[in-house]
This record gives sequence, structure tokens and C-alpha cells, in this order.
Amino acid sequence: MAAFHNEILIDASADEVWAVVAAAERQAEWFPGMVSSTVDGDIRTIGTAAGGFMVEQILLVDNDRRRFEYTITGPLQFEHHLGSIQVEPHGGGARVVYGQDLRPESLTYVLRAATGDALTGLKELVENGTTSRGYTGPAQGEGD
Amino acid sequence: MGRRILFVTTDQQRYDALGCNGGRIARTPVIDGLAAQGLRYERAHPQNVVCMPSRATILTGQHVRRHGVWMNGVPLPADAPTVAGVLHEAGYRTGLFGKAHFEPFLDPFLRFPENRMGVTRATAEDGRPHRGFEHMEFAGHGAAGLVHYGGWLREHHPEHMAGFYPVLDMTLEVSAEGGGDTGAPQVRHNPVPRDVYHTDWVADRAIAWLAGIGGNEDWFCWLSFPDPHHPWNPPASELHRVPWRDLDLPDGYPVDAAEREAILDAKGAHWRRWYDGNLVSNYEVPARWVPSTLTPDQVREVNAMAHIQNELVDDALGRVLATIEGRGWGDDLDVVFTTDHGEFQGDFGLLFKGPYHVDALMRLPLVWRPAPSSAVPADVVTTPVGLLDLAPTFCRIAGIEVPGWMDGLPLPLSDDAGGVHGRRGVLTEWDSVHPNGTEVHLQSVFLDDLLYTRYEAGTCHDGTEGELYDLAEDPLQRVNLWSDPERRSIRDDLGTALEDALPERSQPVLMAESPV
Repeated sequence: MAAFHNEILIDASADEVWAVVAAAERQAEWFPGMVSSTVDGDIRTIGTAAGGFMVEQILLVDNDRRRFEYTITGPLQFEHHLGSIQVEPHGGGARVVYGQDLRPESLTYVLRAATGDALTGLKELVENGTTSRGYTGPAQGEGD
Repeated sequence: MGRRILFVTTDQQRYDALGCNGGRIARTPVIDGLAAQGLRYERAHPQNVVCMPSRATILTGQHVRRHGVWMNGVPLPADAPTVAGVLHEAGYRTGLFGKAHFEPFLDPFLRFPENRMGVTRATAEDGRPHRGFEHMEFAGHGAAGLVHYGGWLREHHPEHMAGFYPVLDMTLEVSAEGGGDTGAPQVRHNPVPRDVYHTDWVADRAIAWLAGIGGNEDWFCWLSFPDPHHPWNPPASELHRVPWRDLDLPDGYPVDAAEREAILDAKGAHWRRWYDGNLVSNYEVPARWVPSTLTPDQVREVNAMAHIQNELVDDALGRVLATIEGRGWGDDLDVVFTTDHGEFQGDFGLLFKGPYHVDALMRLPLVWRPAPSSAVPADVVTTPVGLLDLAPTFCRIAGIEVPGWMDGLPLPLSDDAGGVHGRRGVLTEWDSVHPNGTEVHLQSVFLDDLLYTRYEAGTCHDGTEGELYDLAEDPLQRVNLWSDPERRSIRDDLGTALEDALPERSQPVLMAESPV
């Protein structure tokens, strides 16, 4: 089992940041290299810039604790995967921690780097309204 | 108008792959002919035995700890100086065809320019040279991957994509699935026609690029064949070239299991632990494959497949050389042929590569046919050299002063010249941190026929162990002299030579951003 987390400070209230994170279908707006994210019930399907996709099951959207959890269910065959995003107040702004546990460990370094990029993308979106690289907008995204 | 440079690399090729190096299986008349006309190096070592660090050394002329790409998955910094950039600045046209791998392959979010170029089939980075190359077209190890070849295959020959062995499994680990006639890992009979296979594609793309070069222009063309790196799945139409059942077992394969295991036990602990399936230290080997299950017939079949791939590379190189001759460039053409690192191919009962500093992975083919117009006499050079010497050599060929940021020296034209440079052996390093927590760190020096490797403390070693081989009396490196009291002073001297030669590590230490 491999486990890691990245974190970032954002100059906005925890509630503002959480509103973006909790809207699961908006992930492609702030995750560089993710071109689409669509949600059907508790299933989120993301399209990657490389032309692939991942299917995720949303496990938790806890508005009280501002905590989001999901697991990748396909087409990659993890024995175990848990992704989590925790938003909490920090000074006058917010602290966001993006963690992943996975086995096998093959994607550890890829996800560590990509979620680091994603936190920067979240900060850019919340603070400046800038969407991330590769984001194709809801029209294209919903059609994927 | 100066000397043109055709730089040819294979991937994961052994020294004994070539006829000119004593190889008895693959027929490599084109490379053998270059060696006969030029310089054949008997002791060329990589500075790291996996692709990305080694290729970064080739491109920069720097030791691994200077360019910072300390294992696969660590991208070469975007602003790293490169020999291609130096040549391009000097007016050379620059192209790379085949495998680059200066940036990670496994990249679902397209974080790296090479992969963005591959997916979009762009030949430059947003219209600009990438790492000094004005034109790049990439191929990897099969139909998959974010490379130009994959897109071309999908567009023109989608029916052949499924014939290739998928290198990674559904967990994105290197696949252990067996195939071929013997069930050997990473082997498959591939129905793809030969002219659709990536070896010929790489040659075709280079030929197309050269066709657009003006007759009076200088150029540097890196022809980078992905073979004979696994998967071992050459076109099935070519299997007749080397029938595996006819092969003798390689000299490096101890047939008797007890003898094999005793040899491994005398090396560092990580050797036997991997062999027994009790250690996964590096991503480059199938995590679910246990080397002790390797059979003699599987060794034969893997060798046959690799040598078929070697022959196809030789054929393809011949086509490119014929094109160059046809353009009238031959007299001013330098050809340098080598690879990035070696392959066990059955030595010690192992396949693939990893933290194992022995000839299987470190002794590389290296041939330099200087331009006939330079009138350099043919020779065989035994002075140890490294892949870090290639970039300075290209500068020397082009008549450019070797930049101070290159660690290597221009390749010697003879053993006498090697002595003049005051070379003190050649260094190779290994560092790996697997996400499962396993850490291995090795540093080696090859000097005066002695191969010294020290292990730094990691999860397999306490920092006191190592390996010492006297290749004059033990060319197969079966007797580890590390603990021999009679060799203690030699061991200490080599340790001092290594310490003196290792440069400082660049800071900050770069992050792995992918497993490969």
C-alpha cells in the first residue's frame, strides 16, 4: 500500500473552496489534464487528456466536515484505492489536503504529481476564476 | 558545410548482440561493417542501467547526479542544456526519430510536452525545437503509448494493434503474462507485417526527414530504435531467422540451479531476494514474475526474439545509410551506434534489468565510424568510456568547443589517446525508491579490469556490502571478491577512486513523477 497527500493554502473561505470541491462534476475545471468530468448518481467518469478515462465511485460528500472521498473502480484494476479531499479553515483562508491510498502502487508517482497540479488548479480557479489546462467546458464534457 | 552525424541507438541491447563484438547469433553486417571501417569500443558503460537516466546522460553529457534524472519517472528539467541544442545553435538541422524518453511515458494527464507532441502528432513543441530538436517523431515499445507511432498505427493499420504484447497490465504494472512457445514473460508471436513494425517505421520517418534537408546543410539525426527492449514480439514473419530451439544457452546462464543460486548468494542480498520472488525493487521488471521460474527453453526463446529484433535494426539502419549515400553525404558522414543499457537475457537466471551492476547491463556496444573524409584510422579501443562521452564527441565532430557543463570527454581515437586524457575508469550509479518503500543505492567504477560496486544503506543493505570482480580472471562475474581479505587494499583503492570521481549531487533532488 502506498499513501501520500499534497496540500495547499487558498486565499478564500473554506466554504467557498468546499463549494467547488463538493460539486463533483466540476473537477475537470481545476484538474489539469482532465478534459471532462461527468456525474451519474454516485458514479463519476473523468476523461483524461491522453484519451483515456477513469470511472470513480463517490463514497462521501460530507458538507459538515467538508470532506470528499472517492475510489477508482475502472478500467484500472486497483486492489485498493481511496482518494480524499479535505477542506478546512486556515487563518483567513482555507487549507486543502488531497490524499490517496492505493495498491498496487504503480500510479503513486503519477497521482502524487497530478494531484499537486490539481491543488494549484483549484487555487487558480477559486482565487482567479481560471480553469485548468485541457478543460473543454461542460458542452464537450457532458458529451464524452 | 561540415560533417553530418547519424547517431543510432537501440534500447536495452547487450554488448554481445553484434557480430563485431563476438556475438554468434544475430547477423549484423551493417554495424559490423561500420566497426571494420571505424572505431569499436570494448568497454563502453552507461552511467545508469535504465532508460531515462541513461538517455539524459547521452543528451546532456553529464553524470546522473549532475542532470538529476536519478531513476525512471524523473523528468529531465525543461531547461537542461543539451547537445542537440548546441548543434542546432551552430546551424545544424536536428531530428530525433523513435524513442526519446527524456520525460515519463506513463502520463494520463499529459503533463509532459513529449507526450502532448505524441498524442497530437506534432513534430515540434508549439512550433519550437524541443530539447534542441527541431523535428521529433516518437515510437515506444509497441502499439500503446503516447507516441507518434501509436497514432500512425491506429490511423493506418488498426487491425494490427492487438497483435502487440501489452507491456503493462490492467494495474499498470509491467506485465508478467507469458507467451510465445515457452510461456516466457513479455514474449508474443506478433502477426504484424514487418513494414508496419516500429523498427521500419523509425527508419522510414528518418528517411522522410532527410529527404527535406538541403544537400549543403549540416544535420544531426538521432535514429532511436525501441528494440530489442521487451516486449519481445517481433513480426512473426521473421521468426525463421533465429529458431529458438537451435540456440545454445548463453555462457552467462548457469544451468545447474544449485550453482546458479550459490552465485547469487555470494552477491548482494537483493539479487537472491529478487530471484526468489521476495523483492520488487524497481518498476522496470514485472512485479508478479518470479525469476526462479525461468526455464532454459524460456532463456532460449527470449534470446532468439531479441536477436531477431537486433537483425531487423541492422537491416533498417542499412536502409537509412543507403539513402544517405544516395544523397552524396557518405564521405562526410559520422555514424555512432550504441544503446542506453543492457539486458540480462538469461545471465544468472535473470531477465530484464535493475540494480545489478554487471556486464549484462553495463557493457554496451559502441561503434563510431568517423567520416571517411576525416581519415581517422580504424581501431579497437579498450580504454573504458561512457555514454557521457557521446555529447562531447558530437561537439568535436561538428568543430564546436565542448561546453563546460558537459562532464564527458570526446571519445578517444585509440588507446594511446585514451591515456592522454587521463581517464580514471568509468562510473555507473543506481538510485531507486519504489512506492512500496524499497530503496536501493549503488555506485560503481570500472577500472583496470576491476569492477567495484558499493551499496549505500537502503532497505536491502546496511551500507557495508558490495561487489568486486576481477574481469581478467572472472569475465562472467561469478566470484564476488568483496569480502576477500587479499583484495581488501584493491577494494579500498577503488573506493577512493570512486569517491574522488563522483561529482556533487545537483540540488534540489528532483521528484519522480511517474514510475517510468
